[in-house]
Amino acid sequence: MASVIPVIFILAIVLGLMACGYLFVPKGPQQTTIRTAIMLTLASCYLMWMITYMAQLHPLITPYRATKAGESL
Amino acid sequence: MGDDYPTLFRSEQMSLMQFLIPTEVAHDTVAELGELGNVQFMDLNPAVNPFQRSFVGEIRRTEEMARRVRFFESQIQKEKDVVPIRPLYDSAPLVTVGPSAAHNIDELDVTLAEHETRLVQMNDSYKTLSERTRELVEARHVLRETAVFFDKAETQQTDIRTSFDDSSAPLLQHDDREQQYLSTAQFDLEFVAGTIDRTRISTFERVLWRVLRGNLYMNHTDITEPFVDPATGTETRKNVFIIFAHGDALLAKIRKVAESMGATLYPIDANADKRSDSLREVTARLEDLETVLYNTGVNRRSELLRIGENLARWQDVVRKEKAIYETMNLFNYDVRRKTLVAEGWVPTRDLAMIHMALRHATEESGTSVVPILQELSTSKTPPTFTRTNKFTEGFQTIMDAYGIATYQEVNPGLFAIITFPFLFAVMFGDIGHGLIIFFAALYMIFQEKKWARQELDEILGQFFYGRYIILLMGVFSVYTGLMYNDIFSKSLHIWHSGWDFPESDGVSYAVSNGHIYPFGIDPGWHGADNGLVFTNSYKMKMSIVLGVIHMTFALCLQLPNHIKFKRPLDIYANFIPQMIFLHSIFGYLVVCILYKWSIDWSTRDTEPPSLLNMLIAMILSPGKVDAAAQLYPGQSFIQVVLLLLAMICVPWMLCMKPYFQWKEMQMIQGQGYVGLGHRNGGPRESTDEVLENEEEGNGRAIVEEMEEEHEHHDFSEVVIHQIIHTIEFCLGCISHTASYLRLWALSLAHAQLSEVLWSMTIEKFLGLSGIFGTIALVMVVVFWFLATVFILCIMEGLSAFLHALRLHWVEANSKHYQGEGYSFTPLSFAKLDEKE
Repeated sequence: MASVIPVIFILAIVLGLMACGYLFVPKGPQQTTIRTAIMLTLASCYLMWMITYMAQLHPLITPYRATKAGESL
Repeated sequence: MGDDYPTLFRSEQMSLMQFLIPTEVAHDTVAELGELGNVQFMDLNPAVNPFQRSFVGEIRRTEEMARRVRFFESQIQKEKDVVPIRPLYDSAPLVTVGPSAAHNIDELDVTLAEHETRLVQMNDSYKTLSERTRELVEARHVLRETAVFFDKAETQQTDIRTSFDDSSAPLLQHDDREQQYLSTAQFDLEFVAGTIDRTRISTFERVLWRVLRGNLYMNHTDITEPFVDPATGTETRKNVFIIFAHGDALLAKIRKVAESMGATLYPIDANADKRSDSLREVTARLEDLETVLYNTGVNRRSELLRIGENLARWQDVVRKEKAIYETMNLFNYDVRRKTLVAEGWVPTRDLAMIHMALRHATEESGTSVVPILQELSTSKTPPTFTRTNKFTEGFQTIMDAYGIATYQEVNPGLFAIITFPFLFAVMFGDIGHGLIIFFAALYMIFQEKKWARQELDEILGQFFYGRYIILLMGVFSVYTGLMYNDIFSKSLHIWHSGWDFPESDGVSYAVSNGHIYPFGIDPGWHGADNGLVFTNSYKMKMSIVLGVIHMTFALCLQLPNHIKFKRPLDIYANFIPQMIFLHSIFGYLVVCILYKWSIDWSTRDTEPPSLLNMLIAMILSPGKVDAAAQLYPGQSFIQVVLLLLAMICVPWMLCMKPYFQWKEMQMIQGQGYVGLGHRNGGPRESTDEVLENEEEGNGRAIVEEMEEEHEHHDFSEVVIHQIIHTIEFCLGCISHTASYLRLWALSLAHAQLSEVLWSMTIEKFLGLSGIFGTIALVMVVVFWFLATVFILCIMEGLSAFLHALRLHWVEANSKHYQGEGYSFTPLSFAKLDEKE
């Protein structure tokens, strides 16, 4: 069931949030700073999540471990 | 972009203002502007020697006052019992502006001089009295010890000197006494008594023995208490000696030797009565001296206490006055009109405030003449001023450390607020460690007001200055910790893992159950033997992806600069070829990484190709893609196209801009303009106002005339500059992309360090039982926590901080930053103490 759809879906959500951040920050001396901060945070957090998610979609190797009896995971 | 509010995106717009200040108001105006802290004055007398400037006399007086204040401060610091200095925010301010100002300053001068003379006098008398005390104490010792010697000598020679048994016989007349002395001349050994350093006594004895050939009798004892030198506090131990010898010549030799060895001689009388008299006298004088010394000490201390009450106030006033007069020395003294002419940079937004400040100053001083403010047009580059608050200050400072932004270019500090903590967190990712530094930063922020007033030591001060940076670093580290699924080297199982491990006696191979761990790395990889293989591949690819995106973002920051400074040529000649070059190779690599991740390779017949080999093959043997190692159909054609695109960009970057600039120069020369030292080849701008001013003799910005910058538009320089730029960019693309792999390297090191610490400490002690086991476990936990904080958080934190900063400074800034500005340093009394 692993597909790229969640990635695109979350991307749409994040883009929407970024637009909200741009539009709804009140005018004031800190407007640019707050806008930039919100948009950059959303973008960088999404990027990292996307990379982590996609790296695990179709893994090329499977984990293995040499378990000893009674050892906790 | 609305001009209503300042933004961090670019530096503020600055105006060059000319101030015409009447001399009476000058001091108060400068004081007012200094309190405001918004004007950077320029030096209008650069050719004048500092000793020939107008206000040298006032500065000398303030320097004298400053020296006295420093003297008081050093005297207070030397006191063993702390003298409290009343802090500045607690003291009543001294009025230095207005009609009473001159009187106050004169009074201050006199007070300081008085305090100084009194203090110096007391110090001197204290020193003299201490020396006198010391001498008297030595004399007392000498008297006491020689009494012992004489008693001993008496007992030894009673059989010979029978007439000495009662040396205090009072009834002998003068003649008789002399006769007595004469009659016992043969036995009368005259003596020399005194004190000498204990270390020298043996040398002294030996020298005397040799010099006098043994014709002496010497005795010495230790003085038990050491003498403490009041000035330096060193202790010296001395001995009392008494030397009996016969004959004037011998005694003279003894005296000379004693003086040369640094001994102090004391006149002791042979008569015991006289000795006891002297002893009483010395004791009495000693007591008097002690009382006087004590009183002097008490007086000195009360004087210092009085000074301590006012010291902070005086320091403040003296510092401000000096700054004011130094600034006034920068002004041009227009004697004809009794006004001072000043020029300074002011942020355009603050002009209204400056006007108000000037009016306020005039009201304070009581005159009715308001200083005049005029704006000047100039082609000098204004200073770069970025308005920061306590949150953005730290980020702006670390980006400014690389270079101050050119006037009004895009400020990378704005974006660093988020990208810097984020890249730090990619290298630091651990929920536990992130929480530790988050709470440390939170604590510092809660203590903000108290700590801002204290003098923090250097290291703590640095951490305190960057408290908001550390706060964001902590928050992002918790997020990346969730991504890496790492809390103190353990992983969380919040959602269903995608791997099931079957029970097996040997090696257990996990089976995928179809779940994709929705948020972060699957905990199934934690503890797996090949866990590192997976995470390394994941982190390396992540570093490349993040790196290319960061560099693209930095490259795009060129666009607002080119648009603002009206350089459309740069967009076509620099920006576009750079983007194409970067993306045709490394953007393509990123797309391939994402594409390869999105394919289910179990449904394909080909093996998943190695992307590194693919990229190398793309460059080394273009057009040849092995069918077995193909990523997608049509790959060879697309790769050749991309490679050709990249290759075209190089001559594009090299030639387009020089060619167009050469054409422009030809056009200018063709139209007959002769170079007059112009910057852009355009005519000199003269507005009506400026011409009027020139008529009145005020002239254009005086500073500009004196510093003419000649930029030679040599064609060869343009070409060389462009060659360097092109080579730097193209080689930089490859090396900078690889440089982002440090994101992988440091996060790997951090994770491994954390895991080793856990497995070497707590893990070994978890299984122990019993009371000893529990105690040992507690101790090991404490050790583990300390090692976590100091090694993993502080040391690794500093390391990741440094590398994240390097990524910003080199990899990102080289794509767009010019950094050739100079910072705005206004006359600001608030910043004076920072400078010191």
